[in-house]
Amino acid sequence: MSFETLLFVLASGILLGGLYALMATGLAVVWTTLGVFNFAHGSFVALGAYIAWQVSQLAPTGPGFVIGTCVAVTTMFGFGMMAHFILIKPFERNPSMVLLAVIATLAAATLIENSLLLIWGPRDKLIAPPITEHVSILSVHINAFELMALGVSALTLLALALFLRRARLGRSMRAVAQNREAAELMGLNVPLLFALAFGLSAAAAALAGSFIGAIRFINPSFGVDPLMKALVVVILGGVARFSSPIYAAFLVGITEAFASFFLGLYWTPAVLFSMMIAVLLIKPEGLFGYQSKTL
Amino acid sequence: MKYAPPFQRTNGFRPVLLTFAVLMILPLGLTDIYSRHILILIFLYAVLASNWDISLGLSGVFNFAHLAYFAIGLYTYALLSKVLHIDPWFALAFTPIPAIIFGLLLAAPILRLDGIYVILVTIAAVQLLQQITVSQSTYTGGTGGMILLPRLEIAGYRFSDDNRLGYYYLSLTLLAASTMFLYKLERSSIGRAMKAMRDNKYYAISRGVSEARTRAMTMGISAIFPALAGGFQGAYLRVASPDVFGLGFLTVILSILLLGGVATVWGPLIAAFVVVGFSQLASDYGAWRNIFLAIMILGVIVIYPGGLFAALQESWRQANRKKTQVIASWSRHARVADRLRLMGAPDKLVVTRHGPISVCDTQVGERVILFIHGNSSCKEIFHHQFQALRTHYRLVAFDLPGHGVSPNGRPDKDYRIEAYATIAADIIERLQLGKPFLFGWSLGGYVALEYAASGHPLCGLAISGTSPIATYPEDMSRAYQPTTHMELASTPIHSPHEKADYAWHTTRQSRTEALFAWRAVWRTDGEARRQAFAFLPSVKWHRQMTFLRTTQNPFAMINGPEDPFINHKYCARLMRLCRNDIVHLIDSAGHAPFLEKPETFNETIRPLLNMSFESQTNPSNNRGH
Repeated sequence: MSFETLLFVLASGILLGGLYALMATGLAVVWTTLGVFNFAHGSFVALGAYIAWQVSQLAPTGPGFVIGTCVAVTTMFGFGMMAHFILIKPFERNPSMVLLAVIATLAAATLIENSLLLIWGPRDKLIAPPITEHVSILSVHINAFELMALGVSALTLLALALFLRRARLGRSMRAVAQNREAAELMGLNVPLLFALAFGLSAAAAALAGSFIGAIRFINPSFGVDPLMKALVVVILGGVARFSSPIYAAFLVGITEAFASFFLGLYWTPAVLFSMMIAVLLIKPEGLFGYQSKTL
Repeated sequence: MKYAPPFQRTNGFRPVLLTFAVLMILPLGLTDIYSRHILILIFLYAVLASNWDISLGLSGVFNFAHLAYFAIGLYTYALLSKVLHIDPWFALAFTPIPAIIFGLLLAAPILRLDGIYVILVTIAAVQLLQQITVSQSTYTGGTGGMILLPRLEIAGYRFSDDNRLGYYYLSLTLLAASTMFLYKLERSSIGRAMKAMRDNKYYAISRGVSEARTRAMTMGISAIFPALAGGFQGAYLRVASPDVFGLGFLTVILSILLLGGVATVWGPLIAAFVVVGFSQLASDYGAWRNIFLAIMILGVIVIYPGGLFAALQESWRQANRKKTQVIASWSRHARVADRLRLMGAPDKLVVTRHGPISVCDTQVGERVILFIHGNSSCKEIFHHQFQALRTHYRLVAFDLPGHGVSPNGRPDKDYRIEAYATIAADIIERLQLGKPFLFGWSLGGYVALEYAASGHPLCGLAISGTSPIATYPEDMSRAYQPTTHMELASTPIHSPHEKADYAWHTTRQSRTEALFAWRAVWRTDGEARRQAFAFLPSVKWHRQMTFLRTTQNPFAMINGPEDPFINHKYCARLMRLCRNDIVHLIDSAGHAPFLEKPETFNETIRPLLNMSFESQTNPSNNRGH
């Protein structure tokens, strides 16, 4: 195997990792803040992708993608906030909330997936990417759009990190995640902040969805794969810090790229899930985690 | 002590037997393939969902790899019979073994984990299994699956012949066996260990329940029947496809479990009929069907978390309330003569703050004794006293709300010891009974104590079959023997056998000897039993104990040494602490000495009555409430 092939595999792994980071961070924001695992995250990705596709049809060749993505992200932000009040809020004080939230979000995933099927039909769709050129870095040919996706993902995550660290609202969200009761006593509007976390998560999912929709074909049930990848990433990295799932996302992306190059497509998920189970056995708080959780 | 009667003596026996009989003869009427196919699917899904309850409901282990057992059973059958050409019957019988091994292997990683992590690991394990299955396409057919699996036959008779009659009965047998297994498991020591681990893990561990063993048991045991169901589906549909690993299939089975009600054996069986029946009827609507199922799941967990089984039980309780109300108002008019003959005085309705109450009053005499009966009894239980003591005393007895010929009360307000004491006070005020002597039996003993402790007028007090307690629930275990009857005393709906058991052990009179007492158990509103126990924590027990220790009024406990419920040592020790340390034991009597040995009882209580009423006429001895 040549050095160039190695570089190519590495590059595709990094590009993949960028998308995974975006999805996993969304999942992790909800998990750390609300303490629930959102199994509808994959269908949020799919719904975001379909909204972006629908809007981009207005101008398929020109600025369609950009407008579509913006509309999808804002719509999904509102949708996520709404989803919190329907799916999580009713069980907030229930002792078996963890299980109920899982069941509710699984039901929501079914609901969204089948609604997509009803509205857009089962046929595969592709969002027209805004740029189709290839660039060459270190003699590796890379799709320029994928590079752009990586850049936008990184910028988004950076903005989100700054928001959580510097902005008043973001700091309130972290406070709620760290100690709900204390935050409530300080006068923070906890339900609204929870809804905000859900909304941010859904918006990140929509952004990831529209990138995926422009890279490969989408169908109503394609959300399962991103969900499972995000799950692996979050477990692998842990949610101790904002950056933990991001490191894990690149680890998973690169592992996936190498595994599918050397072992083939079928064995790749098996490798990832084995990795995840091994981590859960040895270090349940995640590779980059500590016992405590925060944002 | 846990009350666990054999199944044939419980309420569920008749409906279950009837349902099973109907399902046995149903193929005679339903001869077309399609309806039998639906029924077979219902049976299979019911087995899957109800066995999931072992981990999800009974043990509280959130095992989302449950359907992997089914998938393993399916692929085991497919691989053994199609690839290795092993006899299909042997392949079917072998299916639980790999599934149990998978369950035990999975138990290892989730042992250290809790809650959401268990869900994540089990889901990941299913994904792993699916990827392995799909990747071995030379054997498993990959994403396309396997088709034309061998079918089941005995001596040349294909189970699919006669419009799938063989498969129908085989699946029904599977369901019956699985249900019987679940029923036994829930009541076995393993089942109790699982429940204990779910409800209070650290307490269970401290009492010697092994967490590792219980979890491993949960994962292994819940694998058996789903795997058999998987093997059966392989033989029946003759197809094995990797769809069974998917989240869609999981959602359907989960909706059955939730709609039926978690932690019940029967709920998922009922829900399987509803969900599978609906799925098949709406199969033409594809996406709409799934949307409806998802909305149903959300609706059930948000609006009615108990599910169908809880709704069924609730409506049964309501029907029972209606029935007992009808019995009460009917016998209030129809059995007047019977009651007059027993008591020697007519009864009438007296309006109290807790509704109208049936009161029997001999009306003659200055010295008044008020009798209060016990749980699931009636005022006629004191008929011996009414006949023997009426010459010297004015005797008054009443039916508590929901008992005897008094109408049913409001469950949340009228069925509590404080309310019963208020009723006694109201009756004493309305009938102008002055300062009566109170005699309370069993639950009535607590009512009499509560009446006295809250400062109402009285001249003396005697209780039978009651252990006064100072703190609830700590003292209950000291005051009473550990018997299964405590469970019966708080159960809203008894089976006929349980009613007879209860009537016999509380009175030790056969049905012919004390027909009224037996009828009273049948008549009593089940909610009265349930609520009386539900409200026990709110009674001011300490006030009752303080009253006993400080009262100037004569007080006695008159018990039977053969009482199966109360702890006599506790009563004796307690009375030494009280000012009037009198415990009378009526020889060879049980829980109701006044009914079993009336002569001895009346002789025993007479000096106490004299003492009480004399202290009343001589105010210097009376503390005077």
